Amino acid sequence: MKKKKILVIDDDPTIRQGYQIRLKANGYDPYFAVDAISGFTEARRQMPDLIILDLGLPAGDGFLVMERLKAATYLALIPVLVVSARDRLATKQKAIKAGATAFLQKPVDNAVLLAYIRKILDEPVVEKVALG
Amino acid sequence: MKLPPVRVLLVEDNEHDVRLLRELLRNEHGPSVHITQIDRMSNIASHLAAGETDVVLLDLGLPDAQGPEAVRQAHAVAPTVPIVIMTGLDDESLATQVLKEGAQDYLVKGQLDAAGLMRAIRHAIRRQRTQVEADVIRGLQLQLRDEFLSDVSHELRSPLTAIYQFVTILADDLSGPTTPAQQEHLDIILRNVEQLRGMIDDILDAGRAEGGRLSVAPECTSLADVIGYTATTLQGAARDKHITLSFDVPSDLPTAYADPKRLRQVLIILLDNAIKFTPANGVVMIRTCVHPIDPRMLLVEVEDSGCGIALDSTEKIFDRLYRVASTSDEGRRGLGLGLFICRELVTQQGGRIWVTSDPGKGSVFSFTLPRFSLTRMITPMLQGSHAPVALVSVAIDSERGTVVDETWQHWTRETRAAVRSCLSVDAELLLPEMGAAQRNECAFVLTTAVDGEMDALSARIRSELDGLDPLRKAGLSCSVSASVLDLGEAADGASNDERIESVSQRITERIAVGIQRSRPS
Repeated sequence: MKKKKILVIDDDPTIRQGYQIRLKANGYDPYFAVDAISGFTEARRQMPDLIILDLGLPAGDGFLVMERLKAATYLALIPVLVVSARDRLATKQKAIKAGATAFLQKPVDNAVLLAYIRKILDEPVVEKVALG
Repeated sequence: MKLPPVRVLLVEDNEHDVRLLRELLRNEHGPSVHITQIDRMSNIASHLAAGETDVVLLDLGLPDAQGPEAVRQAHAVAPTVPIVIMTGLDDESLATQVLKEGAQDYLVKGQLDAAGLMRAIRHAIRRQRTQVEADVIRGLQLQLRDEFLSDVSHELRSPLTAIYQFVTILADDLSGPTTPAQQEHLDIILRNVEQLRGMIDDILDAGRAEGGRLSVAPECTSLADVIGYTATTLQGAARDKHITLSFDVPSDLPTAYADPKRLRQVLIILLDNAIKFTPANGVVMIRTCVHPIDPRMLLVEVEDSGCGIALDSTEKIFDRLYRVASTSDEGRRGLGLGLFICRELVTQQGGRIWVTSDPGKGSVFSFTLPRFSLTRMITPMLQGSHAPVALVSVAIDSERGTVVDETWQHWTRETRAAVRSCLSVDAELLLPEMGAAQRNECAFVLTTAVDGEMDALSARIRSELDGLDPLRKAGLSCSVSASVLDLGEAADGASNDERIESVSQRITERIAVGIQRSRPS
């Protein structure tokens, strides 16, 4: 089966590297962008199955990325998983309203992150994962 | 020094009093006072809206507003304008009441000379100004602190994320095999990452608690589930210290009306403290029961065999940033915010928290929570009707293996939303979640069993759930079943209250059966 493409938009190089190792190890094909503009360009180029989006980005924040994605008909359907260090209470509803499929707060448990990715990509989960 | 003229809005309907007051102020203070007079409360809003009033002189016997109510109305229109009461009644308790409603002063007509009245007016204006300024400053400070805390937590979470990512990469052998000793060391780092994450959340929550903005969403909650979950979470920490962590929840304990997430937070803080302050080979025990004195409440106790708390600290311990002087390294760890957050969360859920302690032998932290009352919830629907009632239940079944908790919760929510969309308001009632994540029966609907309504509802729900395509793709399926509740003797002849009580009991029994059947062994 073809590997699912995941585009990670996050300005922190260390965190991007962490995603790369974790996502590859779980059978995904990760791509990366560092700011809002390259994030949108990369989304158009790669047509990923899922976008993992940070909110605090240079050159326009994550909300701008979502706004532009939702405005482009051929990108609007790509699910967006927002993973941000911003406060959950203040941000979650705002992100979901802006079109995010789900909001997770950094640091997010690997098990939770992967469960969300599978759920969003509609992959059946056979193994019981302990969520901490 | 020449003071600017004071603009007085006189709200008084007695012509004689108006004349007297005008005379009094004009004679000695002519140029320094400007009086506008109205005789009805109903006119006050338009006058105050112009923003040209320094002080309101208010009579308490107006045709359209009397006593404290008059003050309340005037204060509501312009909360920043000082109100001075002018009344014929020399009544101490009335004076106290109107001051509580926001008036600055209470003057009795005929008891003051011009100078005294002017002084009272100027003081009222100055006091009000100071109060308003203080409120503004406090509001600004709270807002600034919120923003600061939010920024700080944001900045702390980013590096913490990187630490977590790479520790788990090492621990999961994604960058090469690790030795058992290395695994153990990585576990230590991970535990500390967890602790740091908890502290960051605590800082934000404590800030919110102080501003009265902690969010709590109570629902029907099973204490057994919440306690089971938290005890499992902290079992590792207890085992590391050779502490026996156990809990006792009677199987017939009624459910609580509480926010399960916030309740978990409270229990984690209490258990974490208990483990922290209990020496090796000690005991930590969670007990629950219906409150022996107030049966509308549930009582939860966390008992430890730790160092105990000095008597003079048992109140202060719930204060913000308070920490018990401790000799152990572990005791000094933490921010001193946990118990403060606990108290705020318990209070907001309608309970109370306190501690009793025997220094050197241990402590018991106790808190109460209101019981969930199904009877209260179903009463509006069943009031005045004697039709038989039925319970429609919706269960999710997994076709392929086990499902992750997160996914399970997600589909429970989705299914409940789909079920909710099938209901007609007032005639059918979706019962609240009973808090058991493991249960496969995720929704119960109470409906009347007359004229095929029960079957029609089941059919509606079935067809709605058939439309939930992603559910099937996730390897799940739904089943809908309905049963008429057997009310026995309460069906006929019983009073409305008895009948509702009986329905409530049948529902509870029915749902409990479902919980027991589906609970993993």
